[in-house]
Amino acid sequence: MSRIRDTAGKLVIFLVQCAIALSFLYPLYFMAINSLKSRPGYYTNPFALPRAPLQFVNFGAMVSQFKILMLFRNTFIICAATLTLLILLGVVASYAFAKLRFRWSQAVYLAIVITLFIPAQVTMIPMYVLFARAGLVDTYWGVVLAYLAQFIPEVVMLMTAYFRSIPNEIIEASEIDGCGYWQVIRHVIVPTGRAAVFLTIIFYFIVMWNDLFIPMVLLRKMDMRTVMVALAGLIARYTGDPPYQFAGLLLSAIPALLVYVVFQQYIIKGLTAGAIK
Amino acid sequence: MSRNALRTPPTRRQLRQRQAILSVLPVIVVLLAIRAYPIVTAAAKSLTNWNGLFTSDFVGLANYVRLLKGAVFWKLVRNNFVLLLNVPIQVFLGLVVAVLLHERVWGWRFFRSLYYIPQIISAVIIGYLFRTLFSMDGPVNIVAGRLGLMPIPLEWLGDTATALGVIVFCLVWSSLGWMAIVFMGGLSAIPDSVFEAARIDGAGFWRRTFQVAVPMLARVLEYAVMLSVVWTFTGLFPFIFSLTRGGPGYETTTLDYMIYIKSFVSGVNLGEACAIAVLLLVIILALTVVEMKATSAVEDWSE
Amino acid sequence: MRKSLKVFVLLALVIGLLLAVTGCAKKEPKKLTVWVPARDAYIGPDEQKKAQEEWYISQAFRRFEKANPGVTVELVAQSDAAASHQLFKAAAVAGNAPDVGVLWSGQYIFGIKDAIRPIDDLVPKADLEGLVGWETVREDFKPDGKILGYGAYAVTLCFMFYNKDLVQKAGLDFEANPPRTMAEFDAALEKIKKTGVLPMVFDESFPWFNLQVAVYWWYQLSGPDRIIKDCLGEEKFSEDKGLLAMLDYYHALWKKGYVNRDAATSTDYWAKFLQGKAAMTAGISTTLTEALAALGDKNVGVIAPPDMDPNSPYATGRVVGGTGGAVVVSKNSKNPELAVKLISFLCSKPESLELLKHQTFVPIRKDITPAEMGYAPGSVQEKVFTYKDNYIYFVDNILTPGVVDEYYKLVPLVLVGKMTPLDFAKAMDAKAAELKK
Repeated sequence: MSRIRDTAGKLVIFLVQCAIALSFLYPLYFMAINSLKSRPGYYTNPFALPRAPLQFVNFGAMVSQFKILMLFRNTFIICAATLTLLILLGVVASYAFAKLRFRWSQAVYLAIVITLFIPAQVTMIPMYVLFARAGLVDTYWGVVLAYLAQFIPEVVMLMTAYFRSIPNEIIEASEIDGCGYWQVIRHVIVPTGRAAVFLTIIFYFIVMWNDLFIPMVLLRKMDMRTVMVALAGLIARYTGDPPYQFAGLLLSAIPALLVYVVFQQYIIKGLTAGAIK
Repeated sequence: MSRNALRTPPTRRQLRQRQAILSVLPVIVVLLAIRAYPIVTAAAKSLTNWNGLFTSDFVGLANYVRLLKGAVFWKLVRNNFVLLLNVPIQVFLGLVVAVLLHERVWGWRFFRSLYYIPQIISAVIIGYLFRTLFSMDGPVNIVAGRLGLMPIPLEWLGDTATALGVIVFCLVWSSLGWMAIVFMGGLSAIPDSVFEAARIDGAGFWRRTFQVAVPMLARVLEYAVMLSVVWTFTGLFPFIFSLTRGGPGYETTTLDYMIYIKSFVSGVNLGEACAIAVLLLVIILALTVVEMKATSAVEDWSE
Repeated sequence: MRKSLKVFVLLALVIGLLLAVTGCAKKEPKKLTVWVPARDAYIGPDEQKKAQEEWYISQAFRRFEKANPGVTVELVAQSDAAASHQLFKAAAVAGNAPDVGVLWSGQYIFGIKDAIRPIDDLVPKADLEGLVGWETVREDFKPDGKILGYGAYAVTLCFMFYNKDLVQKAGLDFEANPPRTMAEFDAALEKIKKTGVLPMVFDESFPWFNLQVAVYWWYQLSGPDRIIKDCLGEEKFSEDKGLLAMLDYYHALWKKGYVNRDAATSTDYWAKFLQGKAAMTAGISTTLTEALAALGDKNVGVIAPPDMDPNSPYATGRVVGGTGGAVVVSKNSKNPELAVKLISFLCSKPESLELLKHQTFVPIRKDITPAEMGYAPGSVQEKVFTYKDNYIYFVDNILTPGVVDEYYKLVPLVLVGKMTPLDFAKAMDAKAAELKK
């Protein structure tokens, strides 16, 4: 359904898109080639392709000394726990907003949405003290709860929108068949609304994987830190070793990129759908 | 539950009510405890000179007065508002890219996926990358020097204007893909017939796009702009942290970054940090109200 | 409905239980947690790329564990030494501050003394007599103030490092003829500049040069009492001639092109110096090892800053230094005696000598000689050692909390001329007035 019929126009557009793509990819390419250089090699010429010997040792050091795999594990634990809770609480609450009519439902929904506008930094100090008194600082659970509170409003918004489009007849039919509350959720809502669940998992995994502020403040213990927090500490040191740092940053980008590459359709669909609303 | 309730079975409606309330209860509890209650505490502490430990004497509005009278606070506000520039730039470029993609020229799906990649990469990485690229002996200066664009290399991150410029550039680079995809979604909802009609009327490509599509994208625009504006006030922390640390001095420090500094880096008066937090919240709410009024005005006009 | 209510309650209980269990993870009885900055303290620059278990400090802990069966020591490396004071404080509020923390001495720990357990009753007499640095850890610097910690592991000394090759190419010999007046210093820098080499390279995004060298001039001109009075608001920074003179010179260094132009934001100053791209930089005794490794044993020299006032009653011919660190025990430590035992162990002679193999510094033990440390006569390390009785205590450790943070943030602006010295001083006055109790 292109509106530009002539090939010349199409070619122009294609080339322009290529140029844009290059500008997006160049910084990453820059990081990649320089992660394989030695420190003096990098400073001599940051543009050149890496010369032999390629410094895979940077990546090796990331794994053995920087313990990047352990950091991956920590981040992954937090993501998994948070996503589980997000889905659990999100599905149940969204089902209520979408299908179970109850008094005050609009007001409550609005109240939940409003919390979206509260930046994490505003509540961080009191939350830290609260968590400190509850013994949740420097634990995975503290970060999980903080993320849960941060993301649940958006998740509820997303899922409510999806669940609203589930035809009531299917639900009524299942209830006639004897489905109670949990069965309806298990057999009707989740299967039919699974796009929302997938989207939540994929999108928020990436967001949490990349996040800095909350885990930086709440989880300082060396062997429990998340990837980005550790890397932020690394790049903050004043005697940098850029190739080493680039190696770490590249490695840390891989899991999120992998998830994206595999599941991109869901994300893009979700984004475009959200816009039309 | 009283024995009476047990004896008469609850009506369907009452059943639903109870289920619904219990369903949303966990979410409400979590939000009350972790989002709502801390705001109350922050507001309360902002009226004290709390030092993070055990000193916490009531000082009334002293923190607010000092902030609003001092120069630093207004510098922070200025920074936030200057960085808001990233929104119109993003919107404009995002629209252009969306329109190009919308033409569905060969490979468009691939390009669309590609353009979103900066969103998949952590802001920590992006910030550090741009800091390296724009450093004194970094690639940008080298290339500009070779092309003869600059007589002497610029210290991009050392000067307020250029540092803020680099940050804006970084923000646009990072969010452009998202903006384009959102707009594409909106564009795909516009029937082709509308564009056909414009073409028949003799409108050129760009005129068609901007004068025809933009008004129809009003709702999408509103959504994208609203999110971007709020994000400029709340989501820049990792960028600032890795690009400039708010420096030099306080030149690129934003309100939310200052809260971090005042509470976790040099926490002498956390009451003051809380005061900044409260003011930040007020600013965000005010902006949101302004936006909603503006968009309802626009909607009335376009109908 | 009743069934789903049950499920809900069950879920809530389970989640609550999980939270409780993981939240209240109890510490084993004899465990010590120790916070150590990731560099410039017990962890040397050459250890960065090694695995944590291979670090000197990890092995020291293992030795301690061996000598004290039933005890485990956990090392937590802090990547941001400046922020670790806040973190220590915040952790204290939570009741889980580490048993032992390696922080910065002087005002840094005075500011968080609520979180620290005074150890007057636990320090062995032998340590009080055999180690230096106690005056920097006694509350408010009073000779009879409560002892808040041990002056940390070493006496740090700050210098200007210079690349012998590059300096000689400019026709200078800093060993025979070190610049002792500001005029001589300027002349030397000019000569170096004329050979096309960058005279000095800094990274003042955290103002190291200022804190390691420039403040000496301020101290020399104004004296410590005046500096403290400025901080307390009893006198004004903006009327402190010594401060203004120091800042003027600081800015002049940059203006005349003796310092890299991006000094306020650069982050690779050390790499530049190590690659021989600049003739001089500022550094501390511990980084000497890395410099020697990169540039060659014969190629690195150190000189003390020139005197701005050769007739100063406060100090002449000195460097900035002292026990900049402090090893403290937190108030919530369950094993304070064991904690002090660990610190004392780290300060023992065998451990001090072992640490010396990894870093260059001046020990806090009075009973170690340069020969024992393996410093060859005439070596640059030996020269560093000679300064150990000749330093002025870190000025930034005298500045009060809040004031010192503002100092750090704004002084780089003075270097590059974005803020005049007077405006800077006024900003400091405003801060001091704000914090005045």
